[in-house]
Amino acid sequence: MIVAKALKPYDCMVLEAEDGVAGLVMAKRNKPDVILLDYTMPVMDGFEALGRLRADPELKTTPVIMLTAEAGRNTVIKIANLGVRDYLIKPFKDELLIERVLRVVPLKLKSEAAERPKRFDDPIRILVLDDKPAIVAQIRGALTDTPWGVTDTDQPGQAFNRCLDPGADIVLASLSLPNDGAYTFFQELRHHANTAAIRVLGMSIRTATEEQARAQQAGFTGNISKPIDAEELRSKIARALKLENTYKFFKEFEGGLAMILPKNSHENFGEALLTRLDRLLGATVEAGGDRLVVDLSAVEEVDMEVVKLVISAIESCSKLSMKHTVVAKGAAKMVCRKFEDSNSWSFVDSLDEALSPAKQPGQ
Amino acid sequence: MTKQIEQIVELTSKAVPEVFQVMLSMDLNTVDPAVTPLDPAGEIVGSVGFTGEATGIVCLYASLNFAKTIASRMLGIEIAQVEGDEMVNDAFGELSNMVVGHVKSRLCDAGLPCTLTIPSIVRGENVRVEGSSQVGRRIIGFRNCEHYLLAEVLVKQNR
Repeated sequence: MIVAKALKPYDCMVLEAEDGVAGLVMAKRNKPDVILLDYTMPVMDGFEALGRLRADPELKTTPVIMLTAEAGRNTVIKIANLGVRDYLIKPFKDELLIERVLRVVPLKLKSEAAERPKRFDDPIRILVLDDKPAIVAQIRGALTDTPWGVTDTDQPGQAFNRCLDPGADIVLASLSLPNDGAYTFFQELRHHANTAAIRVLGMSIRTATEEQARAQQAGFTGNISKPIDAEELRSKIARALKLENTYKFFKEFEGGLAMILPKNSHENFGEALLTRLDRLLGATVEAGGDRLVVDLSAVEEVDMEVVKLVISAIESCSKLSMKHTVVAKGAAKMVCRKFEDSNSWSFVDSLDEALSPAKQPGQ
Repeated sequence: MTKQIEQIVELTSKAVPEVFQVMLSMDLNTVDPAVTPLDPAGEIVGSVGFTGEATGIVCLYASLNFAKTIASRMLGIEIAQVEGDEMVNDAFGELSNMVVGHVKSRLCDAGLPCTLTIPSIVRGENVRVEGSSQVGRRIIGFRNCEHYLLAEVLVKQNR
């Protein structure tokens, strides 16, 4: 516990065992980079545990730092003769522990190690664990317009190995695999330090509520319904991985920014989108851009809420003296025209047309 | 044997404040153990024995509230995040282990080698450990602000 507290600010995983026996099992399973071994423990003490570690071909070279409350000369000599990399006498300050660990393994502070959040347009690695080729094909089909890579297997053991090497960002596991394959795989994943953090979404038919509840209780991140709906799939993967999705709805082009509204949007979506838009418009102007294109071509139903969103977006760009163009045709254009604000809007039929340098944008 | 128990009492008197200072950044002052109040909410006792050229046991007594404070400091978390008895027991047990380990190290260096037991924890109200007639007994009192701690040293007396 004192070790975990001292290492909390650092980018490392700390696994704790209460006694020597549990520690050996944990070390065997997880192959740690360093072992901090308490001398006084129940069931099996540190001395015996160290002997067992040295006898194990897979663990004998793992560096061990012994922790002990006993600083007597004889004890120190005994510990030194055990072949430990270092030892610490309790009580000790956190800084001393860190200093000793740093002699053995490199440690980075969590703030230094923090990666930028993954974006929606990053190459996400998706592993599908399913024994139905049709489902795998549906998933691949649903993600063709993303930069996400999809691999698949129908064997839980193989899936686990692939998570270890080359790795996966997220796994979609069919809950109907024989012999509870998805659950066995999930347990294996969670028990291994290198894979414990990988998100797993269960896949089941919509009405399999009991199966979904079981998966939720087991700790699965979420559920995807079969047959696969592309929008649901993308949305749930994005949510599970907390993908930064600003660029999902925005596209930079030479001279400006395009805001591409999706087919459907949830409540509060407009507010979130406008907040992001304000930030991006500023950056666009800073970069020399002076145009905003609002693309409604994918929107399933242009209603009052959508039009109000467009009005707000154009107001934002007008404040920055930017020009604007709206991509909409047919019924969508007619709905927009019912609003007085749209009188000044310049409409085009397609995004390509809007991005064409020859097109005259509205003011 | 009186000399031995006094030696162990003196080592314990130094070990307790040192361990509290290093591990918890908490200063302890020595006080008369007779004036340490009982906590109606209950107490916790951490005991570690030693056996060899010197044989005995050192017991640390604290109120449950103080033990919770100790656990929060040791784990680096807020007191409200200290949940359940296990966390407190582990922290107090570890602290007891460090104190008696400190004592044991000095005893070994002084030519009195001995071995420690693993710590044990007892909880209850008005808890006291008593030794037989062959055991010498001393109690040391400590205080940090409103918190009190007792260290009881019981040493086997050779005939």
